[in-house]
Amino acid sequence: MPDDVDPPAPGAPRTPLTVRASTLEEIPPAERTPVAGVQEALRKRGSRRGGRLYAGLRWGGATVFAAVAVALVVSLLTSSSQAFSHSGLSLLWTGTWDPPHRIFGAETLIVGTLVTTAVALVLAVPIGVATAAFLAELAPRWLAAPLSVLIDLIAAVPSIVVGLWGLLVLTPVFAGHVEPFFQKVPVLEWFFHGPAVGPSILLAGVVLAVMILPTIVALSRTALAGVALTDREAARALGGTRWQVVRRAVIPGARTGIEAAVTLAMGRALGESIAVAMVIGNLFVIPHSLLHPGATLGSAIINTFGGVTTGLERSEVIALVVILLVLTALVNAGGQLLLRSRAQSGHGT
Amino acid sequence: MSALTGTDAPGAAGAPGAPGSVVVIGGTAADATARRRTIRATSARTLARRHLAGRVAVVLCLVAVAISLTPLVALVAYTTSRGIHALSVDFFTHSIPAGIPGAGISNAIVGSLIIVGLGAAMAVPVGIVTALFLLERRGLIAGTVRFAADVLTGVPSIAIGIFAYAVLVEPFAHFSALAGSFALAVLMLPIVIRSSEAAMRSVPRTEWEAGLALGVRRGRVVRSIVLRGALPGLVTGNLLAVARAVGETAPLLFTSIGSQLFNLDPSQPTAAMPLVIYAQGTSPFPVDQLIAWGTAFVLLVLVLILSVLARLVAGRLNRHAR
Repeated sequence: MPDDVDPPAPGAPRTPLTVRASTLEEIPPAERTPVAGVQEALRKRGSRRGGRLYAGLRWGGATVFAAVAVALVVSLLTSSSQAFSHSGLSLLWTGTWDPPHRIFGAETLIVGTLVTTAVALVLAVPIGVATAAFLAELAPRWLAAPLSVLIDLIAAVPSIVVGLWGLLVLTPVFAGHVEPFFQKVPVLEWFFHGPAVGPSILLAGVVLAVMILPTIVALSRTALAGVALTDREAARALGGTRWQVVRRAVIPGARTGIEAAVTLAMGRALGESIAVAMVIGNLFVIPHSLLHPGATLGSAIINTFGGVTTGLERSEVIALVVILLVLTALVNAGGQLLLRSRAQSGHGT
Repeated sequence: MSALTGTDAPGAAGAPGAPGSVVVIGGTAADATARRRTIRATSARTLARRHLAGRVAVVLCLVAVAISLTPLVALVAYTTSRGIHALSVDFFTHSIPAGIPGAGISNAIVGSLIIVGLGAAMAVPVGIVTALFLLERRGLIAGTVRFAADVLTGVPSIAIGIFAYAVLVEPFAHFSALAGSFALAVLMLPIVIRSSEAAMRSVPRTEWEAGLALGVRRGRVVRSIVLRGALPGLVTGNLLAVARAVGETAPLLFTSIGSQLFNLDPSQPTAAMPLVIYAQGTSPFPVDQLIAWGTAFVLLVLVLILSVLARLVAGRLNRHAR
């Protein structure tokens, strides 16, 4: 393309800069304009090697990425094939994990994963969305700007640090104060019975909530800020107070974005392994109370894989990875589709 | 809404014959005035109620802000206050295990830098080139690659760690920093791809076209115009990817596995800060836990520096664009 100079479109005025000559030498030196010089330089560089090299690079990069993505799925599936041929899909609803008797079931872990994530969402979603609404709509600028930066920075805190804090600081607090308190509350005691030992489903849920809170706040804030000004003005013109505008126009307008934020946070909570492994107590039983220790898919992988490097048990652990992968991929794909539908329908309208 | 009715134009109410006016049904002008007064009084009452509801909502939101900031700030403050006590010159220069006076984590700091550096060296070029692919192509293949990148962003890091173990550790029966780097590269790749694509998309299409119109080859346009124009955005995105990778534990747990020794050879098992935090933090002995707090503090500061740097670069980009 660069070598061809298109003839001017019919009717277009010819500019005096357009110099027609096949080589530089045909133009008298006095009439050599910059355009002629550029054309000449380009003609001399001739080959299309650069273009092909560039195209090759692009395809190469995309191929490497695609290969990695495919290899990830394939290698995990082949490594876990022994497990799935041993027990089939009954792995999903078997409640015992008993390597000596070659009985493997992920039910307790799946339940643990879902319950801890639910606890985290119940705690983090209302608080996170309310915080986002305050930062995006209600707070004065001098307060909202630094707080938003602070929360964005805290979102980068590594999960291992949150886990360490949960293990060394929260565990004694929970064992000594929080868990005994919940045991005494009349209605809640059905959820909170059993000994208050510290490491528990509840503590894991709280640690996960702390971890996903900044994500929910940051993404919801962006969604709320993206609601069209005309929507707010319309609500205001109808006589709505400031809060009514937020409640009736802004939050419904940002609904898809907030749902996507929650879905992505949920994916993170489902897939978190190391921090949960530090505070959940690592017990492979179906929890009957939020105060019981338990295990999630992620924490079980961390705690069992280290000791297992061969045979059926190793394959079973990798089957847990596959289950976790499917679970998070479903949730994340849902979140991405939500985000995309929002992008297509314009910001929040 | 009811507030509107209170602001009725007096003229409309005073003209009973006006078609469509509410007043038509009622009769005299005096009735209309009385009705308007009632409406105003009612709306004033509901307005007061609605303002009260708004104030309550703001207070509830403030409570939510307090609740969400408390654990986050407490976490950072506690890590800082405990971690600072662990710091000393020895902490940064020695690589002696905990429990011995003068214990230090120089091996873990250097190990983290090596593992993350090699990971970034793998992920950044591949990621940027893939982003270019997404930028220049439309259609099914590009859509699929983009969707894969989005979904891969959410893959649990433990799954990536097990994947790296299966392809790079198990076949050689040997743990290595390189396997950890590969795991972190897989973790960073989707982040690098999506942020680079966004950065390069922000370069105005007219600048591409100006380059092409001058007869510059596509590869050269990309190098001199697109990559240069997107440079701040690229730096920001990649710094954030590195900041995320440096704090990851799960991908390293079964790949670079950790080491007590000071090691510069990427083909050997290597210590890393998150691994030290996990190993020492789960120990029951306070001396070990102190090492964990110190390491957590160093890691936190490192991640914070990377995030702030990324923000500063992004801020410069915005100012430049305006």
